Amino acid sequence: MIELYLRLLDRVLTPLLLLIGVVLLLRGHDAPGGGFIAALMVSAAIALQILSNGARLVRARIGRALQPLIATGLLLGVGSALLGVFTGQGFFAGIWWSIHWGPIDYKIGTPVLFDLGVFLAVTGATIAFMLGLSTNVIETTDEPRLGKRPVQHAAQPARRGEEAQ
Amino acid sequence: MLELLQSIPFQPTWLALPVALPMAAAGLLLAVARLGFRQRFRLQRWIAGVVAGIHVLLALLILAHTLAGDEGARIVYQMGSWPAPFGITLIADSFTAIMLLMTALLVVAVVPYAAGTLDHHRESMGFYPLTLLLLMGMNGAYLAGDLFNLYVFFEVLLTSSFVLLTLGGTPGQINGGIRYVVLNLMASLVFLSAAGVAYGTLGTLNMAQMAQRMDIAPDAVRILLAGLMLVAFGSKAGLFPLFFWLPASYHTPHPVVTALFGGTLTKVGVYTLFRLFPLFFPGLLVAWQPLILTIAALTMLISVLAAFVQPTIRRLISFDIISQVGFMLLALGIALDPRAPVTGFALAAGIIFIVHNMLVKTALLMGGGVAELEMGSGNLGAIGGLAAKRPYLAGLFFVAAFSLAGIPPSSGFVSKLSLLQATIGVHQYWMAAVSLLVSLLTMMVMIRLWQYIFWGEFTTGHAQWTPLRKPWASWLTLGPITVLVALSLTMGIFFRPVLHVAQKAANQVLDRTGYIAAVAPLADVPVEPEFWEPPQ
Repeated sequence: MIELYLRLLDRVLTPLLLLIGVVLLLRGHDAPGGGFIAALMVSAAIALQILSNGARLVRARIGRALQPLIATGLLLGVGSALLGVFTGQGFFAGIWWSIHWGPIDYKIGTPVLFDLGVFLAVTGATIAFMLGLSTNVIETTDEPRLGKRPVQHAAQPARRGEEAQ
Repeated sequence: MLELLQSIPFQPTWLALPVALPMAAAGLLLAVARLGFRQRFRLQRWIAGVVAGIHVLLALLILAHTLAGDEGARIVYQMGSWPAPFGITLIADSFTAIMLLMTALLVVAVVPYAAGTLDHHRESMGFYPLTLLLLMGMNGAYLAGDLFNLYVFFEVLLTSSFVLLTLGGTPGQINGGIRYVVLNLMASLVFLSAAGVAYGTLGTLNMAQMAQRMDIAPDAVRILLAGLMLVAFGSKAGLFPLFFWLPASYHTPHPVVTALFGGTLTKVGVYTLFRLFPLFFPGLLVAWQPLILTIAALTMLISVLAAFVQPTIRRLISFDIISQVGFMLLALGIALDPRAPVTGFALAAGIIFIVHNMLVKTALLMGGGVAELEMGSGNLGAIGGLAAKRPYLAGLFFVAAFSLAGIPPSSGFVSKLSLLQATIGVHQYWMAAVSLLVSLLTMMVMIRLWQYIFWGEFTTGHAQWTPLRKPWASWLTLGPITVLVALSLTMGIFFRPVLHVAQKAANQVLDRTGYIAAVAPLADVPVEPEFWEPPQ
């Protein structure tokens, strides 16, 4: 029955954690926060999902997005550092623009992009670690290995998190 | 050759490339990981190989530019134009360039070997992007100019090596991987404590500024920091009481991963010791000489004796890796001995020894890996007689093994000879005797290994690996080994230029004032004097 409470709780907590993650990401270049912390916050939200809904469901939903997420993060991080080279200010030079649009007054620059890259890469890697760790612990799955067909068991009991469907 | 490379201009900004390029390439590999279906590994292999090849050229360029002039030169890049103690400093001298070159060479050798031996599952789990990330971590550790970035790059290296180690996920790998990661994280924790102590007492983590302030710091701070760093990097390098992570894990992954690790990982720890001890603690290096030499002797002796009783190919070579690290520590221990007739000769011998070891150890592990894959098992008691089937491999392995043992005209002979000369030059006769004894024991171990694998009737053990039949496999595996063995022989035969380069690199490592002047840290960061007062 733990899952019931957890599932009720994560309806409230998951959006909250994701929102805090975004806030931390956007303010991180000047104030406490940053891509790494934001990524851990978002991963905490996903960890909650894994605990309440099971690794299988989470993997089915976002499993395929993880590798592109890490790739985008790495490329964005290097790209933001390289921007300075193209403008002649040197590798990792900070270049800033300001956005003034109605009530929004936001400073955007290569450090923000770098933070975004860190955020994506760390989120992808952390979620991949957690899914990898929870596959055999939280529920025993017959998750297919790459290139192999899934093993079909004859009489399989209903899995947690899927009874309702 | 040198003049040609020096005529190519080198922007200090390019010093960021050894870190940025593998990272970008790894991102690219992950991004294209699903393109091309059956052919996708071909694309990954080519990208990884080409990037590693670019690294070799880049490292050659850096080496040529750092060798300019009589004293040699240093290339310094302050990232984002932030001045030294505030920004991230990257600094390269000849020793850095040598290590960059050797690491890139080994990765160039490993990529085709992996293409020839890895199975579909391991390739699809991302061997090539992880190798590039490992390369990035090692390059960053070589170039880092401040202690915190050194820590970060060590973590990058550790994380990617951990994933590489458990790639494939067999129970043995998980078992070895857990020991590897726990013991290495403990070493990282000690390193992090050292960084914290340094920041709390010296008020800076920039290595040049730390070196400046280390001179005026009290003895307690210096001794504490030196002790913490010796434990942290000694563990990474595989020194005597701290090497247990290495033989516990190196025999578990696919042979190509062992070959990659065996040539590179411990050497990063040794490089850091070579870099930091002469820079921070030149006095302690003399005062602690008995301690350092004792550790070196015990590392050499105990692990070479342990190598005698190892049951499998890669366990045996793992212990031999540790035993060779002892020689490198010996070079560091006598580096600043005041009795030395030529300053820096001992350290130069150490650098040559590192280079020789990276080449030969990788060649041996690759050759042993081919044998293991061929016979399905690395169990020395069960296998044998491969010489009849693979005579060329037997010959290559023989040359590599004798190079490791130190038989002329190989690189092992000249590196051990120069180290022995340096040891006798400072009147450390006991250490000279120990190193000779260990060389003899190494030769016996190597003969035993060769005999077990290649001599006698052809027998295979209980198959742990299923032999793969990939196209071009024997070319892709034996080609890199041939190149590495040929480089080892070349180094032994044309020794004069090698010694010249190593001597220059060693002098640069020992030249503290030059290092500090090259980084030129601003002195604006206040030092906290209250930490330096003894408690009342």
